[in-house]
Amino acid sequence: MTALTAVRPSPSTIRQWWVLTVRVIAPTLRNGELLIAISLSGVFTASYYVPLKQVMGAFVHGSYAQYLMPVIALQTVYFAAMSAALRSATDKVDGINRRFRSMPIPVMTPLAARMSGNVCRCAIALATAILWGYVIGFRFYRGAEYTIGFCLLVLLIGITMSFVGDLIGMVSKDPEATTYILLLPLLILGVLSVGIQPAEQFPGWIQPFVRSQFNSQFVDALRALAGDATGSAAWPNWSVIGPALAWLVGVGVIAVPLYGFVLRRRR
Amino acid sequence: MTSVADEAARPGRVPLYDHARPLIDQTRAESSPRLLVLHTWVQTQRLLIRWGHDVQTVIQALILPSTFLVSINLVFGKPVSAVSGHSALYGSVPMAALVGAVFGSTASGICLMREREEGLLARFWVLPVHRASGLLSRLSAEVVRILASAVLVMCTGLVLGLRFEQGIPAALAWLAVPVTFGVAFSFLVTTLSLYLVNTMLAESMGIVVALLFFFSTGFVPLAQYPGWIQPVVEHQPMSYAVEAMRGLSLGGPVLWPMIETLLWSACIAVACVAPVVIGYRKASMR
Repeated sequence: MTALTAVRPSPSTIRQWWVLTVRVIAPTLRNGELLIAISLSGVFTASYYVPLKQVMGAFVHGSYAQYLMPVIALQTVYFAAMSAALRSATDKVDGINRRFRSMPIPVMTPLAARMSGNVCRCAIALATAILWGYVIGFRFYRGAEYTIGFCLLVLLIGITMSFVGDLIGMVSKDPEATTYILLLPLLILGVLSVGIQPAEQFPGWIQPFVRSQFNSQFVDALRALAGDATGSAAWPNWSVIGPALAWLVGVGVIAVPLYGFVLRRRR
Repeated sequence: MTSVADEAARPGRVPLYDHARPLIDQTRAESSPRLLVLHTWVQTQRLLIRWGHDVQTVIQALILPSTFLVSINLVFGKPVSAVSGHSALYGSVPMAALVGAVFGSTASGICLMREREEGLLARFWVLPVHRASGLLSRLSAEVVRILASAVLVMCTGLVLGLRFEQGIPAALAWLAVPVTFGVAFSFLVTTLSLYLVNTMLAESMGIVVALLFFFSTGFVPLAQYPGWIQPVVEHQPMSYAVEAMRGLSLGGPVLWPMIETLLWSACIAVACVAPVVIGYRKASMR
């Protein structure tokens, strides 16, 4: 009889968030997902650096490792964003989101937990990228504050992209298909930027696009923050960092209301 | 519409008679060679129809390789042409056809996993269907898929400026290379899809394809690689396939790279035959 009259439990939101965060992070350590992510980043670093060092070296000032590092960092956090999409799509398709909605959990808690997992994942991605960058010969040439700025910008990009990935996962019906929806544009936009070679190396008609697309703005900002041995890198003032931040704010302004809409529609 | 014919209900015979399809010979044993041909044909059609309805497979087989070619040509066309002395297309078009052939089979691998989980494979196992037709039809459907994607890549290449200087028979032989290579790799992908979990398949194939692509003579000429890795680049399967295809379009040595491509393909296929057959049997008897 007590079951019927028992007081409704009021669980702590913080603890719920923590439990759900561990639920997101723990399996990546166990099922080898993290190991694949780290080796994938290494494969990409070697794949761009080894064949292209001589080909591109002629068009680039200073060391090619220094030139290439920002795009490697970006690709690595994009992979983290892809796994964010895969996770949120799997959660949705398996019905765990419905299950959570039937339980006394605030609407935002599962999202917050997934995003905490993504922040963790992006931080690991950043560390991996810097590690591989150091292996090929990348170094930070400006002061500590700019190095921190570099790391923060990469993290911010990763978190924004993971949020978009989570959103795409929420509306997709097929977790594997989601990965492909994201993989292709990210890879193609990654190479169609100033990350691998200067814009002048592209055919004339596509150069304006190459210069102004978001990857190039991110790469320019990161390159300025990392500096260069020859001093040819631009100084990181607001005219270099500004466009990158503007892109992030722009993506946020579109994605956040869209997410709110999706969450409300699915209730 | 099915009824059991008394005289046909002997062990080892197909006992079902389908009045809607009287042409099917119900007196033959399930394992007869003629039924193998028939069932392989039916299952090939089934797979092609199924893949045609799956957006991911269609994108991977038909749209992805050509998109890949166009973007590779945009990004690396100019610098690679400058170092190789001839148009980079003679390397990048074969690359796109081969990458499309290899990577496209991940979609069919995922399809196979889904059929295993849905219990479709087990269903075929208990029906009077020739048991070899499952795997054989997968191979023949792969041939059709790879051929379609290679023809599309070839047309894209022709639009971009690739020319077959060696004539039409060489162009047809050019198409045969990705088919051979892709079929050999589909043995590998099928093996992986029978033994790995879903998400690992695409990612591990992604790593394999990326390594094969970036460290091959189709990406940049051999001399551009550091000396210590040149032997690996020179002798890996994709480089041989690219060299054979380059010889068939631009001109140059064909025979030796072709032999090496066939050897590599045969080795990959032979190494995977036993695991594929055992894995497929296991997947069907779950």
